[in-house]
Amino acid sequence: MEKTLTWNEMKTIFPDEWLLITDFTLDQSGHLMCGVVTRHSIDKDEVYRLPAINKPSAFKYTGESTFPGGWRAHAEHHHV
Amino acid sequence: MPNITTFNSGAPYIYLSIFVAAENGSLHEFDAIFDTGAPRTEFSDSALQYAGFISGTKPVIIKTGLQSQKYGKIVLPHIQICGHLIENLEVFVSHFEKSWGIDALIGLDFLRQFKVEIDYSKGILTSDKLLILTK
Repeated sequence: MEKTLTWNEMKTIFPDEWLLITDFTLDQSGHLMCGVVTRHSIDKDEVYRLPAINKPSAFKYTGESTFPGGWRAHAEHHHV
Repeated sequence: MPNITTFNSGAPYIYLSIFVAAENGSLHEFDAIFDTGAPRTEFSDSALQYAGFISGTKPVIIKTGLQSQKYGKIVLPHIQICGHLIENLEVFVSHFEKSWGIDALIGLDFLRQFKVEIDYSKGILTSDKLLILTK
């Protein structure tokens, strides 16, 4: 049986990776608390590959997001 | 009754979970950012492909500093945001950079349907369905 890990353990064991997590538990706000890491890779495509796993899955990235933001990115791009 | 959703106020954005009922009935959870700069909710094409709503992704070259690259629309029969079930929501299909670490942007279409209050100091988002009266 695969081991259930907490979200903090996942971040430590799989730094800067994409995770597909099954058999997960959420808190009341829908944030993942723990689960089984079924797939993991630094390559997102590898984790999202088909065929899909036929059970509820949560997808997480353990690294720092480089999302550029909304209006800030727009302003920076146009040198506002 | 309003729903209360917590978020990490120390993070650079408001990260929320968004749940999508896939074509096969499974409920998948994806990470999203609450983005009032997005007119409409957007999903990454890779997430939609996994959930069975699109058959493939398009190769897209995204320019530095620009936002997501939208290239289609799709209606999701059942999604859940902040504990609210939303049916038949039309969303943009977008290319998301992998390093963004997210699969969705929750846009203004959510705000049009819900009264949302944010207490940033406490990391609490309160949301309640707006009553829309029709003749």
